[in-house]
Parts: sequence; C-alpha cells; structure tokens
Amino acid sequence: MEVDIRLPAPRGRLAAKEDDEITLVTPGDVITSDTGFMRGHGTVMEDDSLKSTVAGVVERVNKLISVRPLKARYTGEIGDVIVGRVIEVGSRRWKVDVHAKLDAVLMLSSVNLPGGELRRRSEEDERMMRKYLQEGDVISAEVQNVMSDGTLSLHTRSLKYGKLGQGVLVPVPPSLVKRRKTHFHTLPCGVKIILGNNGYIWLTPTVTESNTGGYEVDLSPVSRGDREEMARLRNCVLALAEQKMLLYDTSIMYAYEESLKFESKVLLKSEVASEIAELAQQRLEHEGYK
Amino acid sequence: MLTSKVFIKKTKRGSVMKIVREHYLRDDITCGSRVCGLCEHPKKQQKPPLEENPNNRSSLCKRQHYLLPDTNVVLHQIDVIEDPSVTNVIILQTVLDEVKHRSIPAFKRMKDMLGNPDKHFYTFCNEFNKDTYVEREPGESSNDRNDRAIRQATNWYRQHIRNVDIVLLTNDAENKTKATNAGLQAFTVYDYIKSLKDAGSLVDRLANPLTKVSIQGNKVLFPEHLHLSDIQRGIKSGRYHQGNVLASRENYLEANVSVGGLDKMVFIQGMINLNRAVDGDIVAIEMLPESEWSCPSSLVLVDREERQKEEDDLDENEKEVKNPVPEELRQPTGRVIGIIKRKWRQYCGILQPSLLKEATRHLFIAAEKKIPKIRIETRQAENLTGKRIIVAIDSWPRTSRYPLGHFVRELGNVGEKDTENEVLLLEHDVPHSNFSQAVLNCLPEMPWTITEEDEQKRTNLRHIDICSVDPPGCTDIDDALHCRRLENGNLEVGVHIADVSHFIRPNTPLDNEAASRGTTVYLSDMRIDMVPELLSSNLCSLRSNVDRFAFSVLWEVTDEAELVGKPKFMKSIIHSKASLTYAEAQMKIDDPNQHDTLTESLRNLNKLAKILKRRRIENGALSLASTEVRFYVDSETHDPIDVQVKEIRETNSMVEEFMLLANVTVAQKIKDEFPHCACLRRHPSPPPSNFDPLIKAAKSKGLTVDVSSGKALSDSLDKAQFPGNPFFNTMLRIMTTRCMMQAVYFCSGMLPEDEFVHYGLAAPIYTHYTSPIRRFSDIIVHRLLAASIGADATYPELLDKQKTQMVCNNLNYRHKMAQYAGRASVNLHTQLFFKERVQDEEGYVLFVRKNALQVLIPKYGLEGTLFLNAPEKGAASLFTYDEEENTQTAGDVVFHVFDPVTIQLFIDRSNVQNMKLSVKLVKPVVPGFSVPPAAYKQTTEPPTKKRKK
Amino acid sequence: MAGVELLSDQGFRIDGRRPHELRKIECRLGVFRQADGSAYIEQGNTKVLAAVYGPHEVRGGRGKALHDKVVVNCQYSMATFSTGERKRRPRGDRKSQEMTMHLQQTFDATILTTLYPRSQIDIFVEVLQADGGNYCASVNAATLALIDAGIPLKDYVCASSAGFVRDTALVDMNHLEESSGGTELIIATLPKSQQIVFLEMNSRLHEDNLSAVMDRAVAGCTDVYNVLDTAVRDHVGETAAAIGGDAA
Repeated sequence: MEVDIRLPAPRGRLAAKEDDEITLVTPGDVITSDTGFMRGHGTVMEDDSLKSTVAGVVERVNKLISVRPLKARYTGEIGDVIVGRVIEVGSRRWKVDVHAKLDAVLMLSSVNLPGGELRRRSEEDERMMRKYLQEGDVISAEVQNVMSDGTLSLHTRSLKYGKLGQGVLVPVPPSLVKRRKTHFHTLPCGVKIILGNNGYIWLTPTVTESNTGGYEVDLSPVSRGDREEMARLRNCVLALAEQKMLLYDTSIMYAYEESLKFESKVLLKSEVASEIAELAQQRLEHEGYK
Repeated sequence: MLTSKVFIKKTKRGSVMKIVREHYLRDDITCGSRVCGLCEHPKKQQKPPLEENPNNRSSLCKRQHYLLPDTNVVLHQIDVIEDPSVTNVIILQTVLDEVKHRSIPAFKRMKDMLGNPDKHFYTFCNEFNKDTYVEREPGESSNDRNDRAIRQATNWYRQHIRNVDIVLLTNDAENKTKATNAGLQAFTVYDYIKSLKDAGSLVDRLANPLTKVSIQGNKVLFPEHLHLSDIQRGIKSGRYHQGNVLASRENYLEANVSVGGLDKMVFIQGMINLNRAVDGDIVAIEMLPESEWSCPSSLVLVDREERQKEEDDLDENEKEVKNPVPEELRQPTGRVIGIIKRKWRQYCGILQPSLLKEATRHLFIAAEKKIPKIRIETRQAENLTGKRIIVAIDSWPRTSRYPLGHFVRELGNVGEKDTENEVLLLEHDVPHSNFSQAVLNCLPEMPWTITEEDEQKRTNLRHIDICSVDPPGCTDIDDALHCRRLENGNLEVGVHIADVSHFIRPNTPLDNEAASRGTTVYLSDMRIDMVPELLSSNLCSLRSNVDRFAFSVLWEVTDEAELVGKPKFMKSIIHSKASLTYAEAQMKIDDPNQHDTLTESLRNLNKLAKILKRRRIENGALSLASTEVRFYVDSETHDPIDVQVKEIRETNSMVEEFMLLANVTVAQKIKDEFPHCACLRRHPSPPPSNFDPLIKAAKSKGLTVDVSSGKALSDSLDKAQFPGNPFFNTMLRIMTTRCMMQAVYFCSGMLPEDEFVHYGLAAPIYTHYTSPIRRFSDIIVHRLLAASIGADATYPELLDKQKTQMVCNNLNYRHKMAQYAGRASVNLHTQLFFKERVQDEEGYVLFVRKNALQVLIPKYGLEGTLFLNAPEKGAASLFTYDEEENTQTAGDVVFHVFDPVTIQLFIDRSNVQNMKLSVKLVKPVVPGFSVPPAAYKQTTEPPTKKRKK
Repeated sequence: MAGVELLSDQGFRIDGRRPHELRKIECRLGVFRQADGSAYIEQGNTKVLAAVYGPHEVRGGRGKALHDKVVVNCQYSMATFSTGERKRRPRGDRKSQEMTMHLQQTFDATILTTLYPRSQIDIFVEVLQADGGNYCASVNAATLALIDAGIPLKDYVCASSAGFVRDTALVDMNHLEESSGGTELIIATLPKSQQIVFLEMNSRLHEDNLSAVMDRAVAGCTDVYNVLDTAVRDHVGETAAAIGGDAA
C-alpha cells in the first residue's frame, strides 16, 4: 500500500490581492461615532458610538452600517436557494437543517404534493408526510420567509426544488457561495450542481431527469465515470473553499479543468489542491472576472 | 525591547518526569560598566556600578581591569573578596546561583557586598543574555557547563569592553588552561592576590589552598567520605541516616545527631567516628552494631595543659572514651560516613602559642568547646598572640587532624573587657554595630512635639496619676501603671505601654533594623539597644513629668480582682507622675503616713496583684527559681567590685502580675481579631522524660515530685522542704527550670489552637506586649492591636502568616542568643571579679557527675564545677562514683545531691590566654584533695556595702 | 521562600522575564474545518485548542432552550499528557467542572446572547499542555474561536494572571510561579472598554497591594489583546481579500 507522509508545513495562502476600500474591524472596534447612521447586523450601539461585534468587513448601504463576518452560520434572505437535510417530521411541517442558527421549517402547505398544485391538503396528507419526506432526505428549496426570531421558512413550490436523489453534499462556509441569478448548473462534464446559499453544495449526476413531482428517487446505480467526475468536482470545490475563493459555476469549472491533469484522488493533497486553486484564480483574473 | 527565544531546559527529578521550562534570552542586559558606550543603561539608575578607572593594581595584569571570580573562588575566598580593597568585581548569575545553592551564609554575604555601592560589584545576568547563554551539551557535567558559561561571559565582556581588561579568577587548573587557551586572562586567586601592590594582610586571609596540604605527612587519618550519590542511595535504602550534628558542649569528640524518624538522638563518639564533622553540619551516618554502642562519658573533658605532641593528645582522648560501657547505659551509636552539607561559619578564639616564633602554621583554639582546633597560616603570629581573632574554616582533608582555615580579623587583647565583650557578641551573633544613617534618618526630629492631630487621635490620660516602677538605673521605661476608684465603687486599673510602633513605621530601615536585632541585649555592663537611643531612652521611655505616647489597656475590676466588662484598649497620651524604683515603691506602700493618691493607687495595685498571683498559682502556674546577679561596678575602672543576687520585692511581683494580665488580655484580643497571623508566645509542656533527673534527685532525699501536670508539679514543689537545708527548695526549683522547654514566639496560623498554651504561666494563650522598647515581638503585637481597634492600618507583611512566622523564628533565635550572651557576660564578669581574690563560700551540690561535682554558690548565683580528678596525673582517683545512687565517695565522705559544701573560688591562671574560674573543696575535708580555707580574707572590705543603700 | 527565588535581585524571573513581561504568545485561527470556529493558542508552554459550534438548534432536550437568549455551553478538559505527570482526567472532575463554569460565566457575559434566542453555542476547550495560566489561555483561545465563528461579541475577552512576589506584581505566571504558593489573581477583561468580566483570586493578599496586582493583570490583558488582535486581523484580512469582490 502506498503511504504518503508529509511533514507539517505552513499552508500557503494565495497572495492577497491588494484591495481598496475594505475596512476590516474586529469586535469592540468603534466604526463611527457619528450618530447619523443606522445600526445593522454585527454592530452594537454603545456610548453613542457604533461598535463592531464581529471580525469582518464593514458594509454600508446608505445610512445602514453592518459588519459581515467572513465566516458565520447562514443567515437566510428571502429568495435564497438552499440545500438542506430533513431532520424531523412534525405536525404539518418538516424541520430542515440548513446550517443556520436555527433549523428551517418546511410547512406541508409549502410543498407541491403529487397530483397537482391546487390539490387540497387533507388529513390523509398529514399522515402521509413521512412518505413524502423522511428524516435524512436532502432537499433543495427556496427561502419563503424569515420569521422574527430568525427561523427560515422554506417552500418547494417549483419543479426545480424538491427531494434530491443520489449525489454528494459538500458543506462550505456560506459566505463563499456567490450570489448569482441561478444556482442550478449543469456542468459540461455531466454533473449537475446546486450551490445552496447556505453553504451546502449538491453534486448529482445528470441522468436522472424524470423528476416528476420530486418524491420518487431513482436509485439505480450511477456509473463509475459519473462517480469519478463527482468526486473530482467535490475536491475542486473544497480546494477553492480552502483558499477562500468564491464558488460559482465559472470558478468551479476552471478549477475542474485545471484539475484534469491530476488523478482525482491526488487532489486531496493540500499542495495540489492549492495549486489548482491558484491556477483557477489566475485564469479568472485573466478573463476579467473579479 | 525583548527578543525572546524559547529554549528548553529538561530536568529529571524523582521518578522519571520531564519538566520543560521556558528560558527567555534577552538582548537588554547591560554590562554594568561606566566605560561602555554600547549598552543602554537604564536611566533611573544613577550610574552603572563598575567604575571607569578600576583601581586594582596588580603586577600580573598591568592594565586596568575588572575581576570576574568563579564559583569556588567566591565560596572559599569570600573573606578576601569582602576586603574593602577588592572592588570592581563582576559576579555572574551562574556564580551567584551556585553559591546560593551551596552555601547560604556565603550567599548572604555576597548579597551584602552587591548592595554596597562602595564595592562596585555588579551582577551580570549571563544566563538570560542571548550572547552568553550556553546550553549544556550531551555528556557534559553541570559543573563543566557552568565553567564554560563563565568563560563565555568573560569572553563576551572582553569583546564588549575594550578599555578595561577582564581578569578571570579561578582556582581550577583545567578551567584556567581552557580560559588561557581561549585568549582570556585567568589567574588563580593566590597568584593574583600576591601580585597586588598593597597585598598586605590580604594574603593571610586567603583560604588554605587545598593542594598545599602535603606538609601534614601523607598519613591518612580519616576514612574517606562517601560520594553524595552513594549517600543518597544509602539513605533511600535505609542503610544510612541523615541528621544534624550537635557537638557536645563540653567535648568536641562527642556529638549527637538528630535524625528525622528516630526518636532518640544518635550518639557519635571519637574523632574517627565523627570523621571530620563539625558542629552544625548535616551529615550521613551509619549505625554501629549494638555491641559497639556507647554512651556519653559523663566526664567533663578536663582542659589540660596543652600538650606538646598532639599524638599523645589524640591517643589519650581515644583511650578515655573507649571505656567499656555498661549495657544498660548504651545509646544508639553511629559513625559519620559522609557530609551532606557543611555549616561552617567564622569562629572566635585565640592562637595556640607556637614553639617556633617564625613558624607560619599555627593552631587556633575556638572559644566554643564544640569546635575543634583549626590550623591556619599566618605571618603575623607574633602580633596575634594574646589576641582574640576570628578564623574561618576552609577545608578538612583526610590527612589533616585539624581542619584548615584562614585568619579573618583580629578583635583585641585577650582579657580586655571590650575585646571579651566583642567576642561574646560575635559568638552569639548579636548585631551590635552602630545604627546606620538610614536608620537614624527615620527618627523624629528634635525637639519633638505633640501635634494637634496626635491630640485628636489619642485619648488624653494626662490627668490620671500614673507612675512607673522599674529597677534602679533603668532608662528604657516601657511600662507604667495606675489604679483609681471609679464612681460605681469598682477600681480601674491601667497598664500603659510605650507606644513604640508610633515611631517605628513598617518597612522603614528603622523597622528592618529593629526586626533584625529582635531584642535589646543586656550584658552586665552594657546594653545593646534594639532601637536607637533617642527612642529607647527618651521619646518612648515613659519618664516622669513629661507627656508621652502610650498604648493603654484599662480594666474595670472589683476589689476582689474580678474583671467587670471588657478591657479597653486605646492609644493615649500620659503624663507619668513618678518614676519609682522597686524599693521606692515598696517604701511608699509600707509607709503608713503616706496617703497621697499615688501611694493609694500603689497599695490598691499591690492588693490586686496578690489576689491575681494567688489565683494564677492555684491554676497551676509555676514559680521557678533562677538566680540573677547584679554587679556593682567601680565607677572609674568599670571593673566589678561586688556581686549580689538580685533581690525580689513585693513590688517586683506587683508589676509582673499586671504585665502578665496585660499580655494575656492582649493575646486574646489579637487572636480573636487575627486568628491566622497573631504573634503569640507559647511554652510547650515538657515531655515527662525531661523530669527524670529532677525526680531522681528528689528521690534521693526521700521526696516525690508529681510531674503529671503543671498544677501537680507546682504543688509538690511547694511542699518540698528539707529540714536543715534552707536552700533546698530553691535548688529544686532551679532543677525544675532546667527540665523545661524553651518558650517560643510563633504565628497563630501555623499551629492548632490547643498548642498555644503557656505551660509555665498556666495560661491558655500568651504574648509579649509590654516591652516594645526592647523586644520586637511586642512591636508586632502593638501593630496588630492597633489595627484591631482601628487606630492604625495594617500592612501586607503583618497579615502574612508565613512572614510573621519568619519574623518569629528570627526573634526566637535572637532571644536565645541574647540570653546566652547575657549569661556569658555574667561569667565574664565573675571572672573579672575574682581576678584579684580567693574566697571561700558556701555551696550546694547540684549535680553529681562521673568525675566532677556541679556546685551552686547561692551568694553569687554561680555554678562551679569541682573536678574530682586525681591531684596528680597517673595516680588513682580518690573518688568512686556510684551511678545508681548518684553519689561520689572518698573514704568516709559521701557526696549526695543537695549536700552543703564549702568551696574556695579563685581564678585559674595556669593558662594566661584562657583564664577561668576554678573551685576547690574546703569542707568536708577529704585528705589529699581538699584545700585549707583561704589564708587571707579579702584585703579590702568592699566599699560597696554602703553603696547598696 | 522555599528554595526557588521567583524574582531575582536584578529583577528577573526564573525564566528570564521581567515582572511585566508576558510569555510568548502564538495563535492561529480556523484550525478545524468541521467546527464553525476554532483556534489554537500557545502562551509559553501552555497550549490550548478551542472549537466553537453554533449557534445552532438546541440539542438534547428542548427544555434547555431559553426564549430570550442563546445557551452558552462550555466544556473544558485537559489532555492526559498535558501535565508533567500523566493522569487520566475524566471530564467530570471537579477542577474541570469549575473551569467549565468559569468559562461559561465569562462568555455568557461577553457574547451578545440576546441575538440568538432559542439556540445554543458550544465552546469546547482542550488543554494540550499545561504550564500555568490554563484559564487565561482557555479564555483567549475561546475568544479567538468565537471570532472565527463570526459570533457577535461585545469585545474581545482577554485573560491574564498576576501574582505578587517580593513586593512586585508578576504578570502571566507560569506553572512554577503558580505552584510556589503565593497569591494569584486571574482576571478577564474587555480590553477596549477596560471592563472586568471575571476575577478570581486564591490565597490572601493585603488590600494595599491589590490595586498594584490588578493593574498589572489588566495591563497583561491589554498586551494579550494586542497580540490577539494582530492575529485576527491577519486572518480576517486574508479571507476578506479573497472574497472582497463580493462585498463591494
């Protein structure tokens, strides 16, 4: 058996781009003593001055000042695409783990049930809830509402959402997922990717296209080729995340392409991973992405 | 300011355990020299200690230089280094640590020198400097590493300071070679000191270099000491024991070793068994087989004429102590197999006259008999004969009968009172130098006045008729009393103690000095004050007709001496109406014609005191006897003219009673307020075995002494009377005193409460409160009491039980030493007194020993030893000793304990350097031993008779 | 003063520091991928790992959840190999429990707990090597881990200890100094606002000296803060640079 042992070495980080306009603050720092501003997330008003409570970047929208921590639990916004895992089946609702500070809620009333959109929900359906989604199922959904205590309520009232079948779930820091128009991509290599805003990324082979109603899952074996592609993609995503690079279709694709010269298991080595990330970054810069 | 590199030190201890400690190396450690321009010397310091132009003139090193001694040089040649002419010395941290590890006294002296700005000593922390730190290499011994560290530091200095040379002093040949090879200047101390231009007496002070001992002949006299690691192994396995050597007070060839874990002391006898152990050393011993066990020869080693040939001396001593020992007397006996730690210090004594005038090797005889003779080398022998000198021991090689030492300094002529006093003080470690300027600066400015603020803080007791009662000639009056009738018919009694703590503030130089002195030492003709005279005899002394600050305790009592309510404590201002002597007070009380308030108050006090005393004795307090004497001194020559046992009057006991009451009251108060850090005094009850000699002695007169409790003892002492011997009871009490334990100061947080008891006074708790002028313990107690009534603030050390205990330990030591010094001073004066006299006196046998009788002479409170040796050498002794009956018999004369005898006192001048008081028997007549009564009475009738009144 | 001289006449401590000097501090943030926040700190030879999970839904019985604030759950433990003598330390031993309590109190006071009602924050602290100042290192490590996890804090919490030897206050005591039996004052402060969140003192100290020792300890906390803040800024700076584009 081949064993690879390396001595501990400082992990290289990509050379930081010299950046402008970024104001870094740490907890307790005074952001401004001007009272004309509004207190946003990550700040606190104390002794007439606005202080930061987290370490991160100051963001200013008109009069609203907030500090975004660079790594934190997911805080939902309406319309976000998320990937989550059902952890509890309750009365007329599912509880879904979405890597937020509280579990999200998926109401029975917010799902499309088999048999048409306008079907009345009967008591029969309540009893059947576990049939539709049970503990451990992974779903994709959209944030419908954010309640006062921060709990997210989800809906899957669209055909793109619903139960997910076979695939790989890759958790990354939520802040690394770039907000884009669409978070569902079918990559050229034949893998479908869902970039959940909550930092859960779902990789799945594209073959299963017969998603009707979304509650039937095709459990037929996935070909080895597809599995390898998925593994490679997973490693690429992790490599980017490790280097704190934003994740979106292009960055992932570039990383994927750069990785092709390696065997996919080699990507687990940290130096290879950082090399790929670096190459991907160079390409992105070269092509004018920011 | 700090570049720290983490180095790791690994140490193993006990079982295998790896200890990793950080060791930061710095770049901000300065060299301490004024010529250096490289280092940034800290600004707040006035000037770095090492001078620009070190004035060390040596022919070996022409340029100006600083000295850098290694550890052994510091340890062994500290007397040289202490000399004021040795200046500008760099002491490395490595050296200091090693010195501290190996000899605490040397370390303390080193610290004193480092603190003395005139010496220009500087400590260079080479272990923390990044350039001079060296790591121990694998396989390198720690000594080698330290030597290397010293060389490294020397080298660093050499490169750092260009204008001044660095001279490494080392006696280690290897170290010296290595240093020279590395281009450093290194000399042995011997060579260096000799090369000094004004070497003078410094050469004498050099310790005997170990290598030069061959003169003794190569005969090995002593078994080798075991190596420390062997000793440790042996101790662990139980083969050897570790203990403190306590040499016998009479004979340095006998010693006891107190071994932890064994309840009996281990006895060691003879030079070979002692194997070069000196009093105080920590040694490892091995038990001898039981058949070789021995017991102390209860014979007192007779100080013979010094013999010409030491061989004889040794053999004879050996013979004497090899007496077959009856089995029942045998004690566990052992022999010394190794020395764990030497406790050598400096010793006072005289040179033994040498046969050859020009000889440079001499024997030194210490004043203490516990210490063996010391061989020293000096060129000034002629000057030193008949002088008291101080000598330090350097080493004791196997080939030498006596330890090797070196001369430290001379004190003065033997027999001169000043010299002898000095010896006395030195031997008892009494600090007696004048008060330093720093201490004197703490004194209040004169004229001293009472401020408005003082008035407000203190209770005004000036209107009360207070008086003090003290011995005649007393200038440090620390207590005063009053007693007055209250409106409700009860009496108010007040004890007023000088408020010394008002003047001695914590943590001032004055405070530190007083704490270190611990007590005022009273010698027969002088007083070594604990606090400067301005305080002791003026501002604090509660003299009559002046306003003084006092710390007062007031009780309300009934006429039957029952306490009413709680005692009151207050800081006050008093105005004493009279300073009386005991005799004056007694006269006032006894004179029926006097009715003034002061006399009335004294009478009341006296009445109350009697009740208190009775009650105390009923509780089981012991009244013990010890004779105190007073010398009447000629006003011109300061030689004593007459001695007298101090007289005890009623008034003495009156004052004593109230002082006891005050002490107990205060003890209770401070213990309640500060349960963990009160400074108290306890007197442990003696173990029953201590009383054995007493019971034995009483039995010989057919009396029984019950020692089961203090009360029983006190009762049986009261009953013990023997017709025809008026002094019998007193002697019994003297013997009882000898059975007692030492009373000690302690900190209340360190002991369980049931051990606070004071046995002699039968008090559950006791402290010293009433003499703050002459005892430091009282100052502590005053501060505690002041804090408890809110009159003063506490300070950290006061409330730290460890620190208080440390202070107490020092006080106990000083107190003991002061007592010894006092006794020694009395002895000294007795000798001076008898210098010109031969006198017959009545005496009583106090102890019967194997070859001597211990005789008590009540008139002088003296004890003399009457040797019962054969009058001539070689002849059979006239006396036979009966160990069972404790008697000595010669013909039909039998000596028992308590027997009256008449003896003749005179000064034995056979040894000019060491005169001593001798006694000879006059009555009962033992033919061939006793002497006829003194041929002449004193020529002059003592004029002192008149003076007494 | 049983053998060892904690402070030499020249003003150096046993390990070569001066009284006001801290031990060398090294720290890293984000050492675990799994946890929401994590940090590792070395203060001299004291080495501590901290991991923070949450805020997340309260686990293990909903009854523990508080309706108005977050539950701060701490766990302090020492590795068997952390001390000179190898010793198994079950998590429930009293010393660890006490330490756990102290940490909980400290962070309850610092985390803006009201922002996350009905949820829970877990702080796990493991001492890998103990050489004095375990509490202090634990607090500092946990602070870093919390910052790494993006959990809102009033301020950094920095802890430091101080002792009192030969009338001098010594900051940041190592094991040798701690075990010599003198006074030790442990303090945790919010360095920017100079508020004290936690203070513990063992053995007696005279009140006259208290302020000196406290000042020394607080100064120590401020020094610790400067080191931690630099580390946080370095760490955050990297990340911010990488994803700065998104922020703009």
